[in-house]
Amino acid sequence: MSAPHRVVLCVALAGAGTALAADKAVQETNDYYRRPLDQLLQVETQAKAAVGSRGGARDALDAEVPIDIITAAQLQSTGQPDLQRALAMLVPGFNAPRPSITDGTDHAPPFTLRGLSPDQVLVLVNGKRLHQSSLLHNNGTVGRGSSGVDLATIPLRAIERVEVLRDGAAAQYGSDAIAGIINIILKGYGQRSQATVTYGRTGEGDGITRQGTLFHTLPLAGDGFVNLTAEWRDRGATNRAGPDVNDGGRINTHFGDADTQDGLFALNAELPRGDATLYLHGLYDRRRSSAGAFYRTAGDDRNIAALYPDGFLPRIEPKILDFSATAGVRGVLDDGARWDISYTHGHNDYHFYVNNSLNTSLGLATPTSFDSGATRNTQQILNADFSKKIGRHTVAGGYEFRQEHYRIFKGDAASYMLGSADNFAYGAQGFPGFSPENAVSAKRQAHSLYGDLKYGVTERLILDAATRAEHYSDFGSTLNGKLALRYRATDDLLFRSSVSTGFRAPSLSQSHFSYTGTYRNSNDAAAQFWGNFAVDHPVARALGATDLKPEKSRHLTLGMVFQPSSQLTASADVFVTDIHDRILPTGYISAYSLSSLSPQAAAVLAQNNIDGAVYFTNAIGTRTRGLDLRLDYSRQLENSARLKLVAAYQRSRTRITEVNQAPEVLGVNMTDLILDPFTRVLIEGSQPADAIKLWSRYSQGIYDLVLNLNRFGKFYSVSAYDRVAFSAKWTLDAELCLRLAKDVSLALGAVNLFDARPDKWGRTDDSLVGAGKVIQYSQYAPFGYNGAYYYLRLGVSF
Amino acid sequence: MFPGLLGLMLLLQAPWAWAGDEERKLEAVFIGRFASYIEWPAKPRDRFVITLLDDNPFGSLLDDLYRDKRIHNKPIELRYATRLEQVGETDALFITLASSAARAAAIDHAQRNGILTISEAKGFAESGGIIQLDFVEQKARIKINHAAALKSGLRIGAPLLTIATVLRGDKP
Repeated sequence: MSAPHRVVLCVALAGAGTALAADKAVQETNDYYRRPLDQLLQVETQAKAAVGSRGGARDALDAEVPIDIITAAQLQSTGQPDLQRALAMLVPGFNAPRPSITDGTDHAPPFTLRGLSPDQVLVLVNGKRLHQSSLLHNNGTVGRGSSGVDLATIPLRAIERVEVLRDGAAAQYGSDAIAGIINIILKGYGQRSQATVTYGRTGEGDGITRQGTLFHTLPLAGDGFVNLTAEWRDRGATNRAGPDVNDGGRINTHFGDADTQDGLFALNAELPRGDATLYLHGLYDRRRSSAGAFYRTAGDDRNIAALYPDGFLPRIEPKILDFSATAGVRGVLDDGARWDISYTHGHNDYHFYVNNSLNTSLGLATPTSFDSGATRNTQQILNADFSKKIGRHTVAGGYEFRQEHYRIFKGDAASYMLGSADNFAYGAQGFPGFSPENAVSAKRQAHSLYGDLKYGVTERLILDAATRAEHYSDFGSTLNGKLALRYRATDDLLFRSSVSTGFRAPSLSQSHFSYTGTYRNSNDAAAQFWGNFAVDHPVARALGATDLKPEKSRHLTLGMVFQPSSQLTASADVFVTDIHDRILPTGYISAYSLSSLSPQAAAVLAQNNIDGAVYFTNAIGTRTRGLDLRLDYSRQLENSARLKLVAAYQRSRTRITEVNQAPEVLGVNMTDLILDPFTRVLIEGSQPADAIKLWSRYSQGIYDLVLNLNRFGKFYSVSAYDRVAFSAKWTLDAELCLRLAKDVSLALGAVNLFDARPDKWGRTDDSLVGAGKVIQYSQYAPFGYNGAYYYLRLGVSF
Repeated sequence: MFPGLLGLMLLLQAPWAWAGDEERKLEAVFIGRFASYIEWPAKPRDRFVITLLDDNPFGSLLDDLYRDKRIHNKPIELRYATRLEQVGETDALFITLASSAARAAAIDHAQRNGILTISEAKGFAESGGIIQLDFVEQKARIKINHAAALKSGLRIGAPLLTIATVLRGDKP
């Protein structure tokens, strides 16, 4: 074919594609035009999300970055009692394992996106940053060495939808938005009041859950509203511990979900006045929780047989108080420019109590209950935003001031002290308290300036550019940028790509966490210390610790969206995320654990009576690569039934690509200092390599049937320095919801209907972990190890 | 490669304004469907006129949709105005003005001229607009200020009133 002919052909094809797409839109609209009015009110439109753009909400075919929108109906149909577990069943790449015997982590378990760390996800509520928990995950769980947001503090029935942005967005939102953003939208205008009670239990008869929620909406003038949600959630413990061969084959340990009671409250209110709207939202959660530590048998050195003749299981029973509140005003000017000024306060207090325990070193004078101290995190944010549409372009910008305050409070003296009755077993067994030396109060401030430009090159090609400059009082300044392109080839087809840089500010808990213990050898003149030291502690400094730098990231996303009809949307995105200077705790720095430790470092330890030390450092770089596939399908069937289907696949893989220089004073390299097999597997293999989610709902007449099929991919754990593979597993959740009357519904459901379990450990040399031993499942198992769970839910709208 | 690039450039430069999302399609449909359930005082016009005031979020969709339609047995004429002064004689006014003061002026004009007003702005019906369209949890909802309709001399048919939230007083 000659060149002129090819030109004509291309032009003709382009024109034909455009015309066909336009015809289809008109055809669909004509189809709506012929329907009765009441049927039009039943049409479910495509969900829209505002996150990732300051230009307003948009649907999948208009989004320059990949976003999942999880509706309230989806969340509620999972049968899960809290938001974190519900998202784990619906969002591919959202990983929420259920660790046990991990101190504080049992009671506020971590979650991750795309196999990264819990603190590499930014969580927003109604677009405003939500504070992180003060708990530092300090055991061998996914997320070790990080502090994340506790999603279980948000009542599920206060939520209208959850927007999950699957792209780096620190150039728009600041620190933490590396793996993505979770934006939780609380129920707003136009809702109905609702009361719900739920009862559930596992197939083994434990984990009894009782939940009652009242959502009440009060309409105000001008389409304003006050929405209140109150919830009581009582989730019983589960136990999948095996027999303890060292204790006569008894099941003496608790390995499973903690016994947890939450009292939750949520408020969302808007009061419009002319072109301005006063808004207020808040969350409150008071949690009591109880879980076991490792069992101390009767003959254990840490036991006092006169107190516990059969041994004892220390119980870690924290009280957690978490609340946040945002108040603000937003409005529109005569020229259409929008503005928004807000203040947000967040607070998390994690107070450790230990019961059914003892301090062995105090002998028979020991108490059996302890106050082991607390950690607290508060955050205050002042924010001012503006945006203005100019034709098909949008300019936006703003300023943000953030202050963070992290504190550690000491426990009572018996919880941490080393008495004279025993040289080694100091403090409260199960969770020794924070000592006065650990107490800290650290603050920092951050100022941010940011700007966004959405530039419509043509109606089809949109360019989004964003930049954000921040100054932190502790580590200095950052400047990040993002460039996204969105090209709508036809009315059905969108191509999108974004490149950006990002960062995560080191958390105050990583910089200032200090948790040390003591022991005394018989020939020691003074007690020996060991544990975690803050990076500014003189001992840590002498061992080479420096102020932490921010983690820095680079992102590339490339994808497409295909929407051949309003009923079907499919998307595919590939992504690459590079992170430099990731912050990790060092290995245990001691003369006996690091054979090549320098004499100078050994002398520092000896001079300070320290057995060994751990501190946080910028240690490694990683590359995460992956693929996301999505398919949304809905259809009105002949018999007035409706079918909705959401299918998703995600694959991501993280590899360590850089290892920073270890502090010279230690005389060891960073690989020996940090990257033991356990840590390497934790970063590269502890989270599922892939996930499949297939959620479907069939509605007809008086019932809805929901089926949710999940495949949790293969993951790895470590036993005796060897990597152990745990195979992928399928689970199926099912719920049948009957509308007994116009405003009354009854749901019967099963989570993990066919009682799937993760692989058990094989044979090991470990005394507690392995086949037939106390701990039979990996802490990393992505859907827990409870097995099947059944529930009934009654809902009344009014 | 050159022809492909040329095709791409043509696509990029095409004066394209697509229908937008599903909500827009439903809104476009509702404008005409509402009108068919409303009775106006007799007007000596041979066309049914729908005017959009301020931004046009529909692209060419309204023109495409209403090209071959009739309302009250009249062919439909679509007009686009950016200022209230540009709104001439019309039967229905779809208002996208961002400012509440500008919307109030448009409502006032419409009431004095027997015009049906429709908007998706929050508080529209309470502030004297006749029909407010909302989307809550991905479904359309209709709010009608019946008193405002009567004040404008419009009669709204029962089939429309039965599926809407009807404001009969000042309370929300």
